[in-house]
Amino acid sequence: MDSTQLTTLTGVIDKKMNRQLKQYMDICARCAICKDACHQYVGTGDFKYLPARRAELIRQIYKKYFTKTGEFVPALYEARDPDDNLLDELYDSTYACTGCRRCMYYCPFSIDTAWILSVAKAILIAAGRGNEMLGQLADAALFKGDNVEMFKDVIVSGFKDIEVEVQEITGNPNAQVPVDKQGADILYVALAGAHSIRPAAVIFEEAGANWTISMFEAANYGFFDGDIEKARLITKRFIDEAKRLGVKEIVVPECGHAYRVLELFYEAWSKEKMPFKVSHILEKVDEYIKDGSITVEKGLLTGTVTYHDPCQIGRNGGIFEQPRDIVQSLTDNFVDLTPNREQQWCCGGGGGIVAMEEFTETRLDRGTQHTPRSGYRCTSGHRPRGRSDAAQGQEAHARIDEPRDREPQRGTLRGAPFASSPDSDAQAAAYRTRLGSTARGRASNHKRISQ
Amino acid sequence: MSDETKVDLELDLKGLLCPLPMVKVSQNIGKVEVGGVIRAVATDPGAMADIPAWAKSTGNEVLQAEKVGGEFVFLVKRVK
Ligand code: SF4
Ligand code: SF4
Repeated sequence: MDSTQLTTLTGVIDKKMNRQLKQYMDICARCAICKDACHQYVGTGDFKYLPARRAELIRQIYKKYFTKTGEFVPALYEARDPDDNLLDELYDSTYACTGCRRCMYYCPFSIDTAWILSVAKAILIAAGRGNEMLGQLADAALFKGDNVEMFKDVIVSGFKDIEVEVQEITGNPNAQVPVDKQGADILYVALAGAHSIRPAAVIFEEAGANWTISMFEAANYGFFDGDIEKARLITKRFIDEAKRLGVKEIVVPECGHAYRVLELFYEAWSKEKMPFKVSHILEKVDEYIKDGSITVEKGLLTGTVTYHDPCQIGRNGGIFEQPRDIVQSLTDNFVDLTPNREQQWCCGGGGGIVAMEEFTETRLDRGTQHTPRSGYRCTSGHRPRGRSDAAQGQEAHARIDEPRDREPQRGTLRGAPFASSPDSDAQAAAYRTRLGSTARGRASNHKRISQ
Repeated sequence: MSDETKVDLELDLKGLLCPLPMVKVSQNIGKVEVGGVIRAVATDPGAMADIPAWAKSTGNEVLQAEKVGGEFVFLVKRVK
Protein backbone atom coordinates (compact mmCIF):
# COMPACT_ATOMS: atom_id res chain seq x y z
CA MET A 1 0.00 0.00 0.00
CA ASP A 2 1.48 3.36 -0.98
CA SER A 3 1.60 6.36 1.33
CA THR A 4 -1.30 8.16 -0.41
CA GLN A 5 -3.60 5.19 0.12
CA LEU A 6 -2.46 4.85 3.69
CA THR A 7 -3.16 8.52 4.34
CA THR A 8 -6.64 8.09 2.86
CA LEU A 9 -7.44 5.10 5.07
CA THR A 10 -6.09 6.57 8.27
CA GLY A 11 -7.95 9.78 7.37
CA VAL A 12 -11.21 7.79 7.31
CA ILE A 13 -10.51 6.42 10.76
CA ASP A 14 -9.59 9.86 12.07
CA LYS A 15 -12.84 11.32 10.73
CA LYS A 16 -15.08 8.51 11.93
CA MET A 17 -13.62 7.90 15.38
CA ASN A 18 -15.65 9.93 17.81
CA ARG A 19 -15.27 9.78 21.57
CA GLN A 20 -17.60 6.80 21.97
CA LEU A 21 -15.79 4.74 19.35
CA LYS A 22 -12.40 5.59 20.82
CA GLN A 23 -13.72 4.35 24.14
CA TYR A 24 -14.73 1.09 22.47
CA MET A 25 -11.17 0.78 21.15
CA ASP A 26 -9.85 1.01 24.71
CA ILE A 27 -12.30 -0.90 26.86
CA CYS A 28 -12.84 -4.32 25.27
CA ALA A 29 -11.97 -6.71 28.09
CA ARG A 30 -11.74 -9.76 25.82
CA CYS A 31 -14.10 -11.49 28.15
CA ALA A 32 -15.69 -13.33 25.18
CA ILE A 33 -19.26 -12.98 26.33
CA CYS A 34 -20.09 -11.74 22.85
CA LYS A 35 -19.01 -15.00 21.21
CA ASP A 36 -22.15 -16.83 22.33
CA ALA A 37 -24.37 -13.91 21.36
CA CYS A 38 -23.45 -13.91 17.66
CA HIS A 39 -25.47 -16.35 15.56
CA GLN A 40 -22.71 -16.50 12.94
CA TYR A 41 -19.97 -17.38 15.39
CA VAL A 42 -22.17 -19.89 17.22
CA GLY A 43 -23.33 -21.37 13.90
CA THR A 44 -19.95 -21.63 12.24
CA GLY A 45 -17.40 -21.62 15.05
CA ASP A 46 -15.28 -19.53 12.71
CA PHE A 47 -13.03 -17.18 14.64
CA LYS A 48 -13.38 -14.40 12.08
CA TYR A 49 -17.05 -14.10 13.02
CA LEU A 50 -16.42 -13.62 16.73
CA PRO A 51 -17.68 -10.07 17.39
CA ALA A 52 -14.64 -8.91 19.38
CA ARG A 53 -12.35 -10.32 16.69
CA ARG A 54 -14.19 -8.41 13.96
CA ALA A 55 -13.69 -5.19 15.93
CA GLU A 56 -10.12 -6.15 16.77
CA LEU A 57 -9.07 -5.61 13.14
CA ILE A 58 -10.08 -1.96 13.34
CA ARG A 59 -8.52 -1.73 16.79
CA GLN A 60 -5.20 -2.97 15.35
CA ILE A 61 -5.08 -0.23 12.70
CA TYR A 62 -6.20 2.34 15.26
CA LYS A 63 -3.43 1.32 17.65
CA LYS A 64 -0.80 1.57 14.93
CA TYR A 65 -1.69 5.07 13.81
CA PHE A 66 -3.42 6.71 16.73
CA THR A 67 -1.59 5.47 19.84
CA LYS A 68 2.03 6.08 20.82
CA THR A 69 2.50 2.54 22.15
CA GLY A 70 1.17 0.97 18.97
CA GLU A 71 3.25 3.27 16.80
CA PHE A 72 6.55 2.55 18.56
CA VAL A 73 6.14 -1.08 19.71
CA PRO A 74 3.51 -2.48 17.34
CA ALA A 75 4.34 -6.14 17.98
CA LEU A 76 3.74 -5.79 21.70
CA TYR A 77 0.46 -3.96 21.30
CA GLU A 78 -0.90 -5.94 18.35
CA ALA A 79 -0.84 -2.91 16.09
CA ARG A 80 -1.01 -3.60 12.36
CA ASP A 81 -0.89 -1.89 9.00
CA PRO A 82 -4.02 -2.08 6.86
CA ASP A 83 -2.28 -4.35 4.34
CA ASP A 84 -3.99 -6.66 1.87
CA ASN A 85 -4.23 -9.52 4.37
CA LEU A 86 -5.87 -7.37 6.99
CA LEU A 87 -8.28 -5.83 4.46
CA ASP A 88 -9.25 -9.28 3.11
CA GLU A 89 -10.00 -10.44 6.64
CA LEU A 90 -11.82 -7.21 7.40
CA TYR A 91 -14.04 -7.63 4.33
CA ASP A 92 -15.24 -11.08 5.42
CA SER A 93 -15.78 -10.10 9.04
CA THR A 94 -17.53 -6.86 8.19
CA TYR A 95 -19.88 -7.58 5.32
CA ALA A 96 -21.01 -10.90 6.84
CA CYS A 97 -22.21 -9.06 9.97
CA THR A 98 -25.97 -8.67 9.88
CA GLY A 99 -25.88 -5.62 12.14
CA CYS A 100 -28.22 -7.32 14.60
CA ARG A 101 -26.37 -5.87 17.65
CA ARG A 102 -27.10 -8.88 19.82
CA CYS A 103 -23.42 -8.91 20.77
CA MET A 104 -23.79 -5.37 22.10
CA TYR A 105 -26.74 -6.39 24.22
CA TYR A 106 -24.69 -9.05 25.98
CA CYS A 107 -21.38 -7.15 26.15
CA PRO A 108 -20.75 -5.92 29.72
CA PHE A 109 -19.64 -2.59 28.29
CA SER A 110 -22.26 -2.40 25.54
CA ILE A 111 -19.56 -2.29 22.89
CA ASP A 112 -21.41 -1.75 19.64
CA THR A 113 -19.50 -3.96 17.22
CA ALA A 114 -21.87 -3.11 14.36
CA TRP A 115 -20.99 0.55 14.82
CA ILE A 116 -17.27 -0.24 14.81
CA LEU A 117 -17.88 -2.18 11.60
CA SER A 118 -19.46 0.90 10.04
CA VAL A 119 -15.94 2.38 10.30
CA ALA A 120 -14.61 -0.81 8.71
CA LYS A 121 -17.03 -0.39 5.79
CA ALA A 122 -15.92 3.21 5.28
CA ILE A 123 -12.29 2.01 5.22
CA LEU A 124 -13.08 -0.78 2.75
CA ILE A 125 -14.98 1.61 0.46
CA ALA A 126 -12.08 4.11 0.60
CA ALA A 127 -9.73 1.25 -0.31
CA GLY A 128 -11.94 0.34 -3.29
CA ARG A 129 -13.01 -2.87 -1.54
CA GLY A 130 -16.64 -2.14 -0.69
CA ASN A 131 -19.21 -4.79 -1.52
CA GLU A 132 -19.86 -4.60 -5.26
CA MET A 133 -23.42 -5.93 -5.16
CA LEU A 134 -24.54 -3.60 -2.38
CA GLY A 135 -22.91 -0.72 -4.25
CA GLN A 136 -24.81 -1.62 -7.44
CA LEU A 137 -28.11 -1.86 -5.57
CA ALA A 138 -27.51 1.54 -4.00
CA ASP A 139 -26.56 3.07 -7.36
CA ALA A 140 -29.67 1.63 -9.03
CA ALA A 141 -31.85 3.15 -6.29
CA LEU A 142 -30.18 6.53 -6.78
CA PHE A 143 -30.58 6.26 -10.55
CA LYS A 144 -34.32 5.70 -10.09
CA GLY A 145 -34.44 8.72 -7.80
CA ASP A 146 -32.67 10.93 -10.33
CA ASN A 147 -34.80 9.73 -13.26
CA VAL A 148 -38.30 9.39 -11.85
CA GLU A 149 -39.99 10.22 -15.14
CA MET A 150 -38.15 7.38 -16.90
CA PHE A 151 -39.66 4.81 -14.52
CA LYS A 152 -42.95 6.40 -13.56
CA ASP A 153 -45.12 4.53 -16.10
CA VAL A 154 -43.88 1.04 -15.21
CA ILE A 155 -44.06 1.70 -11.48
CA VAL A 156 -47.60 3.13 -11.66
CA SER A 157 -48.67 0.29 -13.94
CA GLY A 158 -47.46 -2.16 -11.25
CA PHE A 159 -49.51 -0.28 -8.63
CA LYS A 160 -52.59 -0.49 -10.87
CA ASP A 161 -52.25 -4.29 -11.14
CA ILE A 162 -52.07 -4.49 -7.35
CA GLU A 163 -55.07 -2.16 -7.08
CA VAL A 164 -57.21 -4.74 -8.92
CA GLU A 165 -56.13 -7.38 -6.41
CA VAL A 166 -56.92 -5.03 -3.50
CA GLN A 167 -60.40 -4.48 -4.91
CA GLU A 168 -60.94 -8.25 -5.10
CA ILE A 169 -59.64 -8.83 -1.57
CA THR A 170 -61.64 -6.01 0.03
CA GLY A 171 -64.74 -6.49 -2.13
CA ASN A 172 -64.63 -2.73 -2.68
CA PRO A 173 -64.57 -1.79 -6.39
CA ASN A 174 -63.47 1.73 -5.42
CA ALA A 175 -60.41 0.63 -3.42
CA GLN A 176 -57.26 2.32 -4.65
CA VAL A 177 -53.49 2.30 -4.48
CA PRO A 178 -53.25 6.08 -4.69
CA VAL A 179 -50.09 7.55 -6.21
CA ASP A 180 -48.83 11.12 -5.84
CA LYS A 181 -51.88 12.17 -3.82
CA GLN A 182 -51.44 15.75 -2.65
CA GLY A 183 -52.74 16.29 0.88
CA ALA A 184 -52.69 12.63 1.90
CA ASP A 185 -52.14 12.07 5.63
CA ILE A 186 -49.86 9.07 5.16
CA LEU A 187 -47.06 8.30 2.71
CA TYR A 188 -46.49 4.55 2.67
CA VAL A 189 -42.97 3.72 1.48
CA ALA A 190 -43.08 0.04 0.55
CA LEU A 191 -40.41 -2.30 -0.76
CA ALA A 192 -40.23 -2.70 -4.54
CA GLY A 193 -42.20 -5.97 -4.60
CA ALA A 194 -45.97 -6.53 -4.61
CA HIS A 195 -45.68 -8.59 -1.40
CA SER A 196 -44.88 -5.40 0.48
CA ILE A 197 -47.62 -3.29 -1.12
CA ARG A 198 -50.70 -5.50 -1.35
CA PRO A 199 -51.27 -6.32 2.36
CA ALA A 200 -50.63 -2.74 3.50
CA ALA A 201 -52.92 -1.36 0.78
CA VAL A 202 -55.73 -3.67 1.94
CA ILE A 203 -55.27 -2.50 5.53
CA PHE A 204 -55.13 1.21 4.64
CA GLU A 205 -58.23 0.88 2.48
CA GLU A 206 -60.15 -1.09 5.13
CA ALA A 207 -59.16 1.50 7.75
CA GLY A 208 -60.41 4.31 5.52
CA ALA A 209 -57.00 5.98 5.69
CA ASN A 210 -56.14 9.03 3.60
CA TRP A 211 -52.96 7.56 2.21
CA THR A 212 -50.73 7.48 -0.83
CA ILE A 213 -47.91 5.24 -1.96
CA SER A 214 -44.35 6.36 -2.60
CA MET A 215 -42.72 6.06 -6.00
CA PHE A 216 -39.62 4.85 -4.17
CA GLU A 217 -38.73 1.83 -2.09
CA ALA A 218 -37.78 1.95 1.59
CA ALA A 219 -34.86 -0.51 1.31
CA ASN A 220 -31.55 1.27 1.68
CA TYR A 221 -28.56 -0.56 0.23
CA GLY A 222 -26.40 2.50 0.73
CA PHE A 223 -26.78 1.87 4.46
CA PHE A 224 -25.87 -1.81 4.11
CA ASP A 225 -22.90 -0.94 1.93
CA GLY A 226 -21.70 1.52 4.57
CA ASP A 227 -21.80 4.56 2.30
CA ILE A 228 -23.62 7.06 4.48
CA GLU A 229 -23.86 9.75 1.80
CA LYS A 230 -25.59 7.33 -0.57
CA ALA A 231 -27.79 6.16 2.31
CA ARG A 232 -28.82 9.74 2.99
CA LEU A 233 -29.61 10.44 -0.67
CA ILE A 234 -31.62 7.22 -1.03
CA THR A 235 -33.74 8.25 1.97
CA LYS A 236 -33.97 11.85 0.76
CA ARG A 237 -35.88 10.65 -2.34
CA PHE A 238 -39.00 9.93 -0.33
CA ILE A 239 -38.40 12.61 2.31
CA ASP A 240 -38.65 15.20 -0.49
CA GLU A 241 -41.70 13.40 -1.87
CA ALA A 242 -43.36 13.47 1.58
CA LYS A 243 -42.67 17.19 1.90
CA ARG A 244 -44.03 17.88 -1.58
CA LEU A 245 -47.25 15.97 -0.86
CA GLY A 246 -47.62 17.56 2.58
CA VAL A 247 -48.17 14.29 4.46
CA LYS A 248 -48.29 14.11 8.25
CA GLU A 249 -46.78 10.66 8.61
CA ILE A 250 -44.43 8.28 6.80
CA VAL A 251 -45.15 4.60 7.32
CA VAL A 252 -42.37 2.15 6.49
CA PRO A 253 -42.93 -1.54 5.73
CA GLU A 254 -41.52 -4.67 7.30
CA CYS A 255 -37.98 -3.65 6.40
CA GLY A 256 -36.47 -3.03 9.85
CA HIS A 257 -33.33 -1.20 8.81
CA ALA A 258 -35.47 1.21 6.75
CA TYR A 259 -37.35 2.03 9.94
CA ARG A 260 -34.13 2.53 11.85
CA VAL A 261 -32.58 4.72 9.14
CA LEU A 262 -35.64 6.92 9.07
CA GLU A 263 -36.48 7.05 12.76
CA LEU A 264 -32.96 7.19 14.18
CA PHE A 265 -30.39 8.31 11.64
CA TYR A 266 -31.79 10.52 8.92
CA GLU A 267 -32.15 13.71 10.95
CA ALA A 268 -28.55 13.42 12.14
CA TRP A 269 -27.27 12.74 8.62
CA SER A 270 -29.24 15.53 6.97
CA LYS A 271 -29.11 17.99 9.89
CA GLU A 272 -32.77 18.78 9.40
CA LYS A 273 -35.85 18.07 11.47
CA MET A 274 -38.43 15.95 9.69
CA PRO A 275 -41.84 17.63 9.66
CA PHE A 276 -43.73 14.33 9.96
CA LYS A 277 -44.10 11.36 12.21
CA VAL A 278 -42.41 8.05 11.33
CA SER A 279 -44.23 4.78 12.01
CA HIS A 280 -43.57 1.16 11.28
CA ILE A 281 -46.42 -0.72 9.58
CA LEU A 282 -46.85 -2.91 12.67
CA GLU A 283 -47.34 0.16 14.87
CA LYS A 284 -49.96 1.39 12.40
CA VAL A 285 -51.84 -1.92 12.26
CA ASP A 286 -51.85 -2.08 16.06
CA GLU A 287 -53.21 1.48 16.18
CA TYR A 288 -55.98 0.63 13.68
CA ILE A 289 -57.04 -2.43 15.68
CA LYS A 290 -57.05 -0.55 18.97
CA ASP A 291 -58.97 2.49 17.71
CA GLY A 292 -61.47 0.29 15.88
CA SER A 293 -60.53 1.43 12.35
CA ILE A 294 -60.19 -2.21 11.39
CA THR A 295 -61.73 -5.24 13.01
CA VAL A 296 -60.11 -8.63 13.08
CA GLU A 297 -61.57 -12.05 13.60
CA LYS A 298 -60.13 -14.27 16.26
CA GLY A 299 -59.72 -17.97 15.63
CA LEU A 300 -58.80 -18.04 11.96
CA LEU A 301 -55.22 -18.91 12.85
CA THR A 302 -55.07 -22.48 14.05
CA GLY A 303 -52.54 -24.00 16.40
CA THR A 304 -50.02 -22.25 18.60
CA VAL A 305 -48.82 -18.93 17.26
CA THR A 306 -45.65 -17.08 18.13
CA TYR A 307 -43.66 -14.03 17.06
CA HIS A 308 -39.98 -13.64 16.31
CA ASP A 309 -38.72 -10.16 17.23
CA PRO A 310 -36.85 -8.74 14.24
CA CYS A 311 -33.57 -7.16 15.41
CA GLN A 312 -33.97 -3.73 13.83
CA ILE A 313 -37.45 -2.89 15.07
CA GLY A 314 -37.08 -4.89 18.29
CA ARG A 315 -33.70 -4.73 20.02
CA ASN A 316 -32.64 -1.73 17.96
CA GLY A 317 -35.97 0.05 17.59
CA GLY A 318 -37.93 -0.63 20.77
CA ILE A 319 -41.05 -2.06 19.09
CA PHE A 320 -41.91 -5.14 21.14
CA GLU A 321 -45.48 -5.07 22.37
CA GLN A 322 -47.46 -3.83 19.36
CA PRO A 323 -46.74 -6.92 17.21
CA ARG A 324 -47.63 -9.18 20.16
CA ASP A 325 -50.89 -7.30 20.66
CA ILE A 326 -51.72 -7.76 16.97
CA VAL A 327 -51.11 -11.51 17.15
CA GLN A 328 -53.11 -11.78 20.38
CA SER A 329 -56.03 -10.04 18.74
CA LEU A 330 -56.03 -12.92 16.25
CA THR A 331 -55.54 -15.88 18.56
CA ASP A 332 -55.78 -17.06 22.15
CA ASN A 333 -52.91 -19.45 21.51
CA PHE A 334 -50.01 -17.02 21.51
CA VAL A 335 -46.82 -18.26 23.12
CA ASP A 336 -43.58 -16.29 23.29
CA LEU A 337 -40.37 -17.78 22.01
CA THR A 338 -37.43 -18.29 24.29
CA PRO A 339 -35.44 -16.07 24.17
CA ASN A 340 -37.52 -13.10 23.11
CA ARG A 341 -37.64 -9.29 22.84
CA GLU A 342 -34.15 -7.71 23.29
CA GLN A 343 -32.58 -11.16 23.65
CA GLN A 344 -33.97 -12.72 20.47
CA TRP A 345 -31.53 -14.25 18.01
CA CYS A 346 -30.96 -12.65 14.65
CA CYS A 347 -32.85 -14.47 11.86
CA GLY A 348 -29.57 -14.46 9.92
CA GLY A 349 -30.89 -12.52 6.93
CA GLY A 350 -30.21 -8.89 7.83
CA GLY A 351 -27.58 -6.36 6.84
CA GLY A 352 -28.10 -6.93 3.11
CA ILE A 353 -26.51 -10.40 3.42
CA VAL A 354 -29.20 -11.93 1.15
CA ALA A 355 -27.73 -9.96 -1.76
CA MET A 356 -24.15 -11.12 -1.13
CA GLU A 357 -23.61 -14.48 -2.77
CA GLU A 358 -20.24 -15.00 -1.10
CA PHE A 359 -21.90 -15.28 2.31
CA THR A 360 -24.65 -17.71 1.33
CA GLU A 361 -23.06 -20.60 3.18
CA THR A 362 -22.51 -18.51 6.29
CA ARG A 363 -26.10 -17.31 6.13
CA LEU A 364 -27.95 -20.53 5.41
CA ASP A 365 -26.02 -23.75 5.55
CA ARG A 366 -24.20 -23.18 8.79
CA GLY A 367 -25.29 -19.85 10.18
CA THR A 368 -28.57 -21.09 11.55
CA GLN A 369 -27.53 -24.41 13.03
CA HIS A 370 -27.04 -23.11 16.50
CA THR A 371 -30.54 -24.08 17.52
CA PRO A 372 -32.22 -27.27 16.43
CA ARG A 373 -34.90 -27.10 13.79
CA SER A 374 -38.12 -26.70 15.63
CA GLY A 375 -40.63 -28.34 13.36
CA TYR A 376 -42.91 -25.36 13.83
CA ARG A 377 -44.48 -23.91 10.73
CA CYS A 378 -43.15 -20.45 10.01
CA THR A 379 -45.63 -17.91 8.72
CA SER A 380 -43.41 -15.07 7.63
CA GLY A 381 -45.01 -11.76 6.87
CA HIS A 382 -42.37 -10.62 4.48
CA ARG A 383 -41.09 -13.59 2.49
CA PRO A 384 -44.11 -15.70 1.80
CA ARG A 385 -42.99 -17.97 -1.02
CA GLY A 386 -40.89 -20.59 0.67
CA ARG A 387 -37.70 -19.26 -0.90
CA SER A 388 -37.28 -17.08 2.10
CA ASP A 389 -33.91 -16.82 3.68
CA ALA A 390 -35.34 -14.99 6.64
CA ALA A 391 -38.05 -17.58 7.08
CA GLN A 392 -35.52 -20.39 7.20
CA GLY A 393 -33.68 -18.52 9.89
CA GLN A 394 -36.86 -17.86 11.80
CA GLU A 395 -37.85 -21.47 11.68
CA ALA A 396 -34.50 -22.44 13.07
CA HIS A 397 -35.00 -20.17 16.03
CA ALA A 398 -38.60 -21.01 16.72
CA ARG A 399 -38.46 -22.86 19.98
CA ILE A 400 -41.49 -22.54 22.12
CA ASP A 401 -41.56 -22.99 25.86
CA GLU A 402 -38.02 -24.24 26.09
CA PRO A 403 -35.33 -22.69 28.21
CA ARG A 404 -32.66 -20.69 26.42
CA ASP A 405 -30.16 -23.21 25.15
CA ARG A 406 -27.10 -21.00 25.16
CA GLU A 407 -27.09 -18.10 27.52
CA PRO A 408 -23.99 -16.09 26.64
CA GLN A 409 -21.45 -16.90 29.31
CA ARG A 410 -18.28 -15.11 30.19
CA GLY A 411 -15.40 -17.08 28.76
CA THR A 412 -11.96 -16.11 27.71
CA LEU A 413 -10.29 -15.13 24.49
CA ARG A 414 -6.84 -15.85 25.81
CA GLY A 415 -4.57 -17.62 23.43
CA ALA A 416 -3.85 -16.75 19.81
CA PRO A 417 -4.47 -14.29 18.38
CA PHE A 418 -5.15 -12.44 21.61
CA ALA A 419 -2.03 -13.92 23.14
CA SER A 420 -0.71 -10.74 24.62
CA SER A 421 -3.91 -9.83 26.38
CA PRO A 422 -3.76 -9.61 30.15
CA ASP A 423 -5.90 -11.87 32.24
CA SER A 424 -9.31 -11.30 30.76
CA ASP A 425 -11.32 -12.11 33.90
CA ALA A 426 -9.35 -9.65 35.99
CA GLN A 427 -9.49 -7.04 33.28
CA ALA A 428 -13.23 -7.51 32.86
CA ALA A 429 -13.73 -7.10 36.58
CA ALA A 430 -11.59 -3.96 36.62
CA TYR A 431 -13.50 -2.44 33.77
CA ARG A 432 -16.80 -3.30 35.37
CA THR A 433 -15.72 -1.44 38.50
CA ARG A 434 -14.67 1.55 36.45
CA LEU A 435 -17.85 1.76 34.41
CA GLY A 436 -20.34 0.77 37.04
CA SER A 437 -22.88 -1.98 36.75
CA THR A 438 -23.43 -3.81 33.52
CA ALA A 439 -27.08 -2.95 33.78
CA ARG A 440 -26.28 0.71 33.35
CA GLY A 441 -24.54 -0.04 30.08
CA ARG A 442 -27.42 -2.11 28.88
CA ALA A 443 -29.97 0.55 29.74
CA SER A 444 -28.30 2.86 27.27
CA ASN A 445 -28.60 0.32 24.45
CA HIS A 446 -32.16 1.06 23.64
CA LYS A 447 -32.55 3.27 20.62
CA ARG A 448 -28.98 4.42 20.77
CA ILE A 449 -27.90 6.11 17.60
CA SER A 450 -24.97 4.26 16.23
CA GLN A 451 -23.88 5.74 12.96
CA MET B 1 -37.20 -8.34 -31.07
CA SER B 2 -37.11 -11.36 -28.76
CA ASP B 3 -37.56 -13.73 -31.72
CA GLU B 4 -34.47 -12.36 -33.46
CA THR B 5 -32.13 -11.93 -30.51
CA LYS B 6 -29.72 -14.75 -29.75
CA VAL B 7 -29.96 -15.58 -26.06
CA ASP B 8 -26.81 -16.83 -24.33
CA LEU B 9 -28.20 -17.51 -20.87
CA GLU B 10 -31.72 -18.12 -19.57
CA LEU B 11 -32.58 -17.11 -15.99
CA ASP B 12 -35.73 -18.29 -14.26
CA LEU B 13 -36.35 -15.66 -11.59
CA LYS B 14 -40.00 -16.52 -11.03
CA GLY B 15 -41.03 -16.33 -7.39
CA LEU B 16 -38.05 -14.26 -6.35
CA LEU B 17 -38.88 -11.01 -4.59
CA CYS B 18 -37.20 -7.70 -5.26
CA PRO B 19 -34.34 -6.95 -5.26
CA LEU B 20 -33.32 -10.57 -5.90
CA PRO B 21 -34.25 -10.61 -9.63
CA MET B 22 -31.87 -7.69 -10.16
CA VAL B 23 -29.24 -9.31 -7.94
CA LYS B 24 -29.40 -12.54 -9.95
CA VAL B 25 -29.05 -10.70 -13.27
CA SER B 26 -26.03 -8.85 -11.89
CA GLN B 27 -24.47 -12.04 -10.54
CA ASN B 28 -24.91 -13.79 -13.88
CA ILE B 29 -23.99 -11.05 -16.34
CA GLY B 30 -20.32 -12.02 -16.06
CA LYS B 31 -21.19 -15.51 -17.32
CA VAL B 32 -21.90 -14.22 -20.84
CA GLU B 33 -19.34 -12.60 -23.10
CA VAL B 34 -19.42 -8.85 -23.78
CA GLY B 35 -22.21 -8.46 -26.34
CA GLY B 36 -23.97 -11.56 -24.99
CA VAL B 37 -27.60 -11.57 -23.89
CA ILE B 38 -29.41 -12.88 -20.81
CA ARG B 39 -33.11 -13.66 -21.00
CA ALA B 40 -34.63 -13.36 -17.55
CA VAL B 41 -38.20 -14.09 -16.51
CA ALA B 42 -39.43 -12.64 -13.21
CA THR B 43 -42.81 -12.40 -11.53
CA ASP B 44 -42.20 -9.53 -9.12
CA PRO B 45 -43.39 -6.27 -10.75
CA GLY B 46 -40.65 -4.33 -8.95
CA ALA B 47 -38.19 -5.88 -11.40
CA MET B 48 -39.66 -3.73 -14.19
CA ALA B 49 -37.95 -0.68 -12.71
CA ASP B 50 -35.10 -2.39 -10.83
CA ILE B 51 -33.49 -4.27 -13.73
CA PRO B 52 -33.48 -1.30 -16.16
CA ALA B 53 -32.17 0.99 -13.37
CA TRP B 54 -29.40 -1.50 -12.60
CA ALA B 55 -28.53 -1.73 -16.33
CA LYS B 56 -28.37 2.05 -16.70
CA SER B 57 -26.23 2.55 -13.63
CA THR B 58 -23.80 -0.26 -14.52
CA GLY B 59 -23.55 0.61 -18.22
CA ASN B 60 -25.35 -2.47 -19.52
CA GLU B 61 -28.38 -2.45 -21.83
CA VAL B 62 -31.93 -3.72 -21.51
CA LEU B 63 -33.04 -4.70 -25.01
CA GLN B 64 -36.51 -5.65 -23.86
CA ALA B 65 -38.61 -5.36 -20.68
CA GLU B 66 -42.07 -6.68 -21.32
CA LYS B 67 -45.06 -7.90 -19.36
CA VAL B 68 -46.31 -11.20 -20.74
CA GLY B 69 -49.35 -12.40 -18.81
CA GLY B 70 -48.30 -12.42 -15.18
CA GLU B 71 -44.59 -12.53 -16.00
CA PHE B 72 -41.95 -9.94 -16.76
CA VAL B 73 -39.52 -10.86 -19.52
CA PHE B 74 -36.17 -9.13 -19.92
CA LEU B 75 -33.44 -9.30 -22.53
CA VAL B 76 -30.30 -7.85 -20.98
CA LYS B 77 -27.16 -7.30 -23.07
CA ARG B 78 -23.74 -7.23 -21.46
CA VAL B 79 -22.05 -4.09 -22.74
CA LYS B 80 -18.84 -4.16 -20.72
S1 SF4 C 1 -15.81 -6.62 26.30
FE1 SF4 C 1 -16.18 -8.82 26.12
S2 SF4 C 1 -18.29 -8.99 25.31
FE2 SF4 C 1 -17.60 -6.83 24.99
S3 SF4 C 1 -16.77 -6.86 22.87
FE3 SF4 C 1 -15.04 -7.23 24.27
S4 SF4 C 1 -14.88 -9.49 24.37
FE4 SF4 C 1 -16.90 -9.03 23.53
S1 SF4 D 1 -24.01 -7.37 15.22
FE1 SF4 D 1 -24.89 -9.46 15.16
S2 SF4 D 1 -23.90 -10.45 13.37
FE2 SF4 D 1 -22.70 -8.60 13.87
S3 SF4 D 1 -21.06 -9.34 15.21
FE3 SF4 D 1 -22.74 -8.66 16.56
S4 SF4 D 1 -23.99 -10.51 16.95
FE4 SF4 D 1 -22.66 -10.95 15.17
